Amino acid sequence: MKRIFEVALGILAAIGGFVDIGDIVFNTAAGATFGYGLLWVVVLGVGGIITYSEMCGRVAAVSKQPVFDAVRERLGLATGLVALVAAQIVNLLTLAAEVGGIALTLQLLSGLPYRALILLGVLALAVVIWVLPFGWIERVFGYVGLCLLVFAVAAIKLHPDWGEVAKGFVPHVNTESPLVYGYFAVGLLGAAMTPYEVYFYSSGAVEEGWTPKDLGINKANAIIGYGLGGFLSFALMITAGALFLPLGIEPELLGTVALGAEVPLGQIGLILALVGTLFAVGGAAIDTCFSGAYNLAQFLGWEWGKYRGEARAPRFTLTWLVLLALGFCIVMTGIDPILLTEYSVIFSVVALPFTYIPILLVANDKSHMERYANGRVANTLGLFYLLVILVVSLTAIPLMLLTNMGQG
Amino acid sequence: MSTSGELDLAYGVLDHQLVDSEGRRCGKVDDLELEGKAGAELRITALLVGPGAWRGRLPGPFARLAGRLFARKLVRVPWDVVESAEAAVHLGKTASELGLGRGDDRWRKRIARIPGS
Repeated sequence: MKRIFEVALGILAAIGGFVDIGDIVFNTAAGATFGYGLLWVVVLGVGGIITYSEMCGRVAAVSKQPVFDAVRERLGLATGLVALVAAQIVNLLTLAAEVGGIALTLQLLSGLPYRALILLGVLALAVVIWVLPFGWIERVFGYVGLCLLVFAVAAIKLHPDWGEVAKGFVPHVNTESPLVYGYFAVGLLGAAMTPYEVYFYSSGAVEEGWTPKDLGINKANAIIGYGLGGFLSFALMITAGALFLPLGIEPELLGTVALGAEVPLGQIGLILALVGTLFAVGGAAIDTCFSGAYNLAQFLGWEWGKYRGEARAPRFTLTWLVLLALGFCIVMTGIDPILLTEYSVIFSVVALPFTYIPILLVANDKSHMERYANGRVANTLGLFYLLVILVVSLTAIPLMLLTNMGQG
Repeated sequence: MSTSGELDLAYGVLDHQLVDSEGRRCGKVDDLELEGKAGAELRITALLVGPGAWRGRLPGPFARLAGRLFARKLVRVPWDVVESAEAAVHLGKTASELGLGRGDDRWRKRIARIPGS
């Protein structure tokens, strides 16, 4: 019984942890532009993150290798270094975007000046990371992030045309403006399959000392947790499709997104949406900050891990402190966090193959994985998604330039 | 080491994580030292660790850049200290006995000064 309870708690944390600023921005913008027409892309993206999270969680449990350990081993030093640099740049951009999102949300809640709130947000993150144990960080942010479920209630209250919603789940292409549609599809896939999620997931599994006994938890967390996380993405897109599209509103501000919950549900809806956003984005900021430190330490062979205590993994600790400071500096320049989010998601798509190829190779290596190596289902899905990722990573930047970031 | 008794140096040892006898992560296998000559038996004598070991594996300009940025520090870990080579390479001595993990040692004291660590 205790075990089932633990599994359920882990799943809840995964749902809350799925959504970050990239998901919020792209799902809302996609809904406001194409209504429900891109829902099927979210399903595709969620399938991808489930496939690769399950794989790297399994690798972490069986061979105790986190992602950048596998990258160094499989790609070697020189190519691995390219992967590391790409991952670190994308990670830092994502971290900065999340920090900006925290400050924007705090501003909507308090009305205080934006730059002061950036400082407050970053200090709060540093203290939380320093003081709270690993499991607590994941749970507190995951659970409170579940306030975003208010968008599911909002979506229902807005009485969308459910027939149209159902049609959105059927894969199709918009023929009127295929390029903008393609840009949003790429963004949604990137937001769902954000690379930091796999870095964090696999390193977290090693931190928590998973063994092959935990493979059930791994499957449940990946499939149910991320699957239901995708449900939050649907809710955001349906809300935007039902509310913003008919009014012709382009949600360029985070406050507009929260409006999606306020219009049907009033003040309580607004507050739940903002609190949910704050914790979802705050949790993602911590995940990205740690991911950057995990990657560097794993590539160079340093001691790493929150569970070791700050002083026992000193260069790891130093790295996340530096990353947090860099993220702070980027946002303090006054760059628009929403724009930063779009860049971080699109560039992360370009860097995705570097992360996923080594995972697929290690998960297939019988000398490390023995009987837990990939079976036919994992390999079929793995190869399918690798193909999707390759196509998407090659088209991401051309689409961004051709559509002027989705402006048409 | 695989069950067949063969050891794949390229995928089974090079670029793997080093773990000392106390379970501490202490660097990567950045290069290998081999003994022998063409046509004769080749023997692995040591693992090489540190910037001085990996620098030469990067393409020219990057190797020069790395040479400017990092000290040419290189630690030689005799092959007979290696206990097992699986996903990680496990060593039979502690990192400090072998001269590994010095970077972490240097930063440990400074980080420990921050309250709550």
